[in-house]
Amino acid sequence: MSSASFETIATAGTLPGYWSGVLRRLGRDPVAMFALLVILAMVLMAVFAPLIAPADPYRGQMLRRLRPIGTPGFPLGTDELGRDMLTRLIYGARLSLLMGVTPVFIAFFVGSAIGITAGYLGGKVNTVLMRTVDVFFAFPSVLLAIALSGALGAGIFNGLLSLTIVFIPPIARIAESVTTAVRKIEYVEAARASGASALTIVRVHVLGNVIGPIFVYATGLISVSLILASGLSFLGLGVKPPEPEWGLMLNTLRNAIYVQPWVAALPGAMIFITSISFNLLSDGLRSAMDLKS
Amino acid sequence: MSAPTSARTALSTAEAGPSTAGPLLSINGLTKHFPLKGGLFGQSRGVVRAVDGISFDVAEGETLGIVGESGCGKSTTARLLVDLISPDSGSVILGGRTLGVDLTVRDLRRQVQMVFQDSYASLNPRLTMQDAIAFGPMVNGMARDKAVALARDLLARVGLDPGRFAGRYPHELSGGQRQRVNIARALAFSPKIVVLDEAVSALDKSVEAQVLNLLADLKAELGLTYIFISHDLNVVRYMSDRVMVMYLGQVAEIGPVDALYATPAHPYSQALLAAMPSMDPDRRTMEAPLAGDPPNPINPPPGCRFHTRCRQADGVCSVTVPVLHALPQKGHLASCHLHIPGSGHTGATPRTEMAP
Repeated sequence: MSSASFETIATAGTLPGYWSGVLRRLGRDPVAMFALLVILAMVLMAVFAPLIAPADPYRGQMLRRLRPIGTPGFPLGTDELGRDMLTRLIYGARLSLLMGVTPVFIAFFVGSAIGITAGYLGGKVNTVLMRTVDVFFAFPSVLLAIALSGALGAGIFNGLLSLTIVFIPPIARIAESVTTAVRKIEYVEAARASGASALTIVRVHVLGNVIGPIFVYATGLISVSLILASGLSFLGLGVKPPEPEWGLMLNTLRNAIYVQPWVAALPGAMIFITSISFNLLSDGLRSAMDLKS
Repeated sequence: MSAPTSARTALSTAEAGPSTAGPLLSINGLTKHFPLKGGLFGQSRGVVRAVDGISFDVAEGETLGIVGESGCGKSTTARLLVDLISPDSGSVILGGRTLGVDLTVRDLRRQVQMVFQDSYASLNPRLTMQDAIAFGPMVNGMARDKAVALARDLLARVGLDPGRFAGRYPHELSGGQRQRVNIARALAFSPKIVVLDEAVSALDKSVEAQVLNLLADLKAELGLTYIFISHDLNVVRYMSDRVMVMYLGQVAEIGPVDALYATPAHPYSQALLAAMPSMDPDRRTMEAPLAGDPPNPINPPPGCRFHTRCRQADGVCSVTVPVLHALPQKGHLASCHLHIPGSGHTGATPRTEMAP
């Protein structure tokens, strides 16, 4: 029936043409490509950490604490417990990326679903959904994340859960506003005049035109998520010692800021590089998605 | 839909409906008031009387032009006709079947299609032309390859080479080409009636003429019926068999195009036609144009809605609402006290033929 034949238009028919065009344009953007390379390097580093890392991330020696960058055998120095910084930074990518990407990824689907439903149906459904979402906006995101993971208890899973909840409202808000705008455009009216069901219209005419802005916004949130996750770990609510995680490392090394400032700043530099890469990639994606460019 | 699509040949209008002795489309007392929401809890603060009890018939194969100033309810009427918005009251009768009684919205939309003014906004920027046209038939149960074949066929029909245009996106086409695609999309349903809501208003004059000729050709070929909405009086005159003049959500005058343009009865129609620039310098417009804007449709004036701007307004005009009244020429009606005998208007003929 109509829905079966409709899959073809959405999948085999048109979208591949559009998305391959987006990828082609993205490929021509040197900044976005560089950011993508950095992110890929981070991911590879996380996946193959045991193979790359020169030492054991958990083993330290009290005799060689806080060595500076460039010490023989410890290219990036050692931390406050004498563990190899390079090793811990490599291992740290695992948890940090997990904490940064997963909440945004889940919130992207949940938030989009809420926002598109509210935006397309409008009226009372919109009011109920969006006012509920607004309740979460009453709290600053950092405070909300802290409160939620504080209530749920420390731990990686609870940290992920609280971050996911923090990111659903802003994504839902964006999804609702772009969907409301698209719904009023005449091609949606024309589709309604063709007798198509709401679900079909959303799938063919709305989704393709709203998912771009939502996706770009969500990728921008990855950097925020990285920093919030680091913040939770810093406060002892996310990852617990001795696990290597950039935010936690930043926390434990802060006492050494006067002794070895460069070593203490390294986890922060990793967070910065990763988050700015995600930001630049989402910028590139935004311009690549613009059909008229 | 589970309609046997194999039996339905593309473009054929030979879908045998119930025998239509009367008009193809009959509109009776159609009304749409938009509530004005405001305040903290969204209480209603009055209504915008966008369309206020209009009635008209459309015969099979004719073109009915609808003219009027911005905000007079032309577009709302168009949207009511395809049920994009539902009327508050009044009935839409298509081929003898009443919408909501024995005619479903789905059936109505298959037989009455619409072309919008903004050719760019009416096309999904992410769909190729061929997919945009094929969408309608597909949601109505046609297989994809058949729908695509139909779409390419229709592209050729509206004068666009399918080999060049089928795979293009809306931004790769000019305004006139896009409007041709929009017409093709409307035709994909094999509709009986096409509502053209300012369909050529946004086009260049030369392109406009091409699209108008295309519309005329398609009408002759496919036996279509048009409802042609425009603010351009020349275009309406060229396209229409009959013309309806709307003012503030009501019908001011309706009649055959020649009668209405030659002897407009309603002072509003007269003012509209007088405002039309004349091509002949010897017949320059002498009358002063209509002053001011139409009154607010939230709070329309009592009596005749036009009396606030009417040069011939009389005492009765601000009290009694005039009804559509037949004029000497067949099918020509106007709602003006001036033409209603015995209405009390000083210019009207007194009621003479009182039945004994």
